[in-house]
Amino acid sequence: MMYSIAQIKREWQFMLSQRYVLALLLCGLLVSVFSVVTGISEVNQQRATIERLKAADEIDRAEAQEKYDDPGSLAYYTFHLTYASPSNLAFAALGERDIYPWKHRVRMLALEGQIYESDAQNPELAQIGKIDFVFVISALSPLIIILLFHDLVASERNNGRYDFIVSTAKSSFALWGARSAVRFISLYVCFMLPFVVGAVISDTAFIDVLLVSFMCFAYFIFWTLLSLWFGRHSSSAPKIASSLIGIWVLFAFVLPILGDIAINKHIESPDGGDILLVQREAVNDAWDLSIDTTMASFLAEHPEYDYYEELQSGGFNWWWYYAFQQVGDQTAGSLSVQYRHASVAKYESAKYVSWLSPPLLLQRSMTRIADTDAKAAFEYENQIREFHKALRMFYYPELFSSDTFDKNKLESMPQFK
Amino acid sequence: MSVGMTTNAVFSVAKDEWRYWVRSKIAVSVLIIGLLLTISSVIVTLANMHELSHQRSSMQNNAEETFVDQPDRHPHRMVHYGHYAFRVPSPLSILDPGVDAYTGNSIFLEGHRQNSAMFADQKQGTGLTSLGSLSPAFVVQVLAPLLLILIAYSSMSREKESQTLSFILSQGTSIYALILGKGLALLSVVGLILVPLAIAGMYAVTQGESGIVVVGFLLAYFFYLLVWALIVLLFSSLFSKNSESFTALAFVWILLCIAMPRIASTTAATVSPSSGKLETDFAVLAELRTLGDGHNANDPAFAKLKASLLEKYNVDKVEDLPVNFRGMVASASEEELTHVLNRFAEQSMQDELAQTQISRYFGWLSPMVAIRSLSMISAGSSIETHHRFLREAEELRYSFVQSLNKVHVEQLSYIDDINRSKGEEAWKKARVSADNWQMIQDFTFETDAAETRLNRSIPSFLQLALWLGILAFGIRLAGRQSL
Repeated sequence: MMYSIAQIKREWQFMLSQRYVLALLLCGLLVSVFSVVTGISEVNQQRATIERLKAADEIDRAEAQEKYDDPGSLAYYTFHLTYASPSNLAFAALGERDIYPWKHRVRMLALEGQIYESDAQNPELAQIGKIDFVFVISALSPLIIILLFHDLVASERNNGRYDFIVSTAKSSFALWGARSAVRFISLYVCFMLPFVVGAVISDTAFIDVLLVSFMCFAYFIFWTLLSLWFGRHSSSAPKIASSLIGIWVLFAFVLPILGDIAINKHIESPDGGDILLVQREAVNDAWDLSIDTTMASFLAEHPEYDYYEELQSGGFNWWWYYAFQQVGDQTAGSLSVQYRHASVAKYESAKYVSWLSPPLLLQRSMTRIADTDAKAAFEYENQIREFHKALRMFYYPELFSSDTFDKNKLESMPQFK
Repeated sequence: MSVGMTTNAVFSVAKDEWRYWVRSKIAVSVLIIGLLLTISSVIVTLANMHELSHQRSSMQNNAEETFVDQPDRHPHRMVHYGHYAFRVPSPLSILDPGVDAYTGNSIFLEGHRQNSAMFADQKQGTGLTSLGSLSPAFVVQVLAPLLLILIAYSSMSREKESQTLSFILSQGTSIYALILGKGLALLSVVGLILVPLAIAGMYAVTQGESGIVVVGFLLAYFFYLLVWALIVLLFSSLFSKNSESFTALAFVWILLCIAMPRIASTTAATVSPSSGKLETDFAVLAELRTLGDGHNANDPAFAKLKASLLEKYNVDKVEDLPVNFRGMVASASEEELTHVLNRFAEQSMQDELAQTQISRYFGWLSPMVAIRSLSMISAGSSIETHHRFLREAEELRYSFVQSLNKVHVEQLSYIDDINRSKGEEAWKKARVSADNWQMIQDFTFETDAAETRLNRSIPSFLQLALWLGILAFGIRLAGRQSL
């Protein structure tokens, strides 16, 4: 025991004297700090945006509600903000939030015509991606680990100290083990410390911090062991490092890209544009169709309004207008479902590919915990659909009623979240 | 020493270097893998972009046909029926698809609204290509430098480590001839990597791309790889141990190719956050409320228009006007509204561009950032081209809406128009012939002119030139030091 501590102390002193090791550690620390600081700033910006939107949305809706009295116009002129707030772990895994929208305003018109509107971020920045903590760990840390661990044995051999060191150390494990442990712990601390500080600032759940720390630990161990194993006896350090970087390229780029091509070939999806086209034709044609034709389709979903004929007046009827909006959604419904299923199927199949690629596996796992992955975006879309439905359920009874609308009822209008 | 002898010496050094690579096998296998990756990326991307291009053109034609095929209608119905614009990728997108998958590629065009582009391909992606995609641009920008490092990290340091350097120098080969020779060998590798790109570039020319742009594009990649060849030579000359040279180069690659581009985009997003469409929409809405509602000809906002028309035609009521007053109102309000919408749209594009510009400044710090911008700008797959698409789609929208309004003004009587809701007969009477729908223009999206793109790419060319200059100077110094 005493021997081990002495050994570790010696290795610690030794590491402090090696400038290039210190430089790599410092780089790891700096890039980790950068990712955490900008991640927190991004999340704060997203939250502030949501707050501003909420305030503006409320004012806008209040104005519309002030101006109109009948349920038809009210439903037409009031928009509703929906949003998905970033989680407390999002700062470390910004995930797909720059690709999928996390804010939307909808109204009671056909949803298929509205839901694909996207308020995406700058595409040129999204294309290269952001440097969040997940990226730092999954992509950058393996490279630093490779540079730190591939030549533990080879460098000593190169320096001609190898035989001397091996003969003076009590066991080879005590020697290489102590050196590896010192480097490993220093590196782990350099990368994780900024994350932990960020997590405290962001009020992240303790269990999430623990889970992320554990996953990163396992990931570090994987790359360290791989580097040590590759470097266990070969004498040419650059050859070892080349092979390791080659493996990294394989994991980070080649396998995922091949998987991506295979999945895209395999899973058929209707074209998004077609959904919109079908929906538009249905809604537009309705103007020229008889009310009964439209209502027949509408009643298939809502038989409770089969008394609509009593309400019919010579002119324009709002209930008819909203009925054909819904029929538009119904017509495009199966295409839309297929489209969504294809999206989910693609993302789910990617899970199997990610098992072959540790960096992607780590990214998927962390963005899942942080609720910033494509799955979270799909869930958000479902929430919007649910909300739209609730909105329709609120207005339909009023639209299909000959009584004057009591505006106090607006207070019980469904709210998003 | 004569020039001829020096040239000979350079060539023989280059030949020796190749001989060493072939013997060591690693270099050759790395080279073969690299070439295979480049070639397959060219083939896959070419097939992919070709299909997209085909698909979108046919959807554009389809949209035009369905529009023309609509029956007789009230013209304003067609304003809301709307139209589509599709962004067909530029010919050079086969080498750099750029933002294509990250922006929507179709826009629904209708009256009184500017919709955003929908259905970005990336939204239906697997999420597997977040670290890199199989595009020639990515392969050459990120992986080719690594390939050059793996092949040539030891080109100079090897001679020092095995102490053959002094022997070579004593044989009469100058240090510069040695460096030049090694550089020449490396240059031939660069040439090999560029061959598949050049072939695809020629194909792009047959697809209508300007020859000068393709030459500029290839030249940019040549400069970029030259920068990396020089970086490799410089570090290899600076260190006297292979392992040190390798570690240093690997580190530089990680920094410049993997970390820096993302640091650039993150910095841009942090320093200059953009407000997003939803937030701008509130501002637009507030301003639009001050204008009149174009559906309501009685809106007081149009009183002035009414007065001037009555005076112009010297009549007392709008019913007596030779033109349809409701159509005039629709047309006037569309014009005003478009004015407001365009002002806000232009502003948000400028904001987005400013944000992009910040990330492009990082090209001074990383040649990878420089070539990335240069490549997308030349290929016509950068943010500017997408903005151009947005502007052209808006022009198309405005022109078809106003043409319909013109039909509304000239071909539909005001009396029929206001009586349209009075029974089946009146509803049918308030229509114009479907022949009018022929006015829809053929829309084919074309990338910016060659000159525009070349002008835009000048800053990035300068960034690469600076890198070349500094590195050449550095190698001179290192060469002197090695003597």
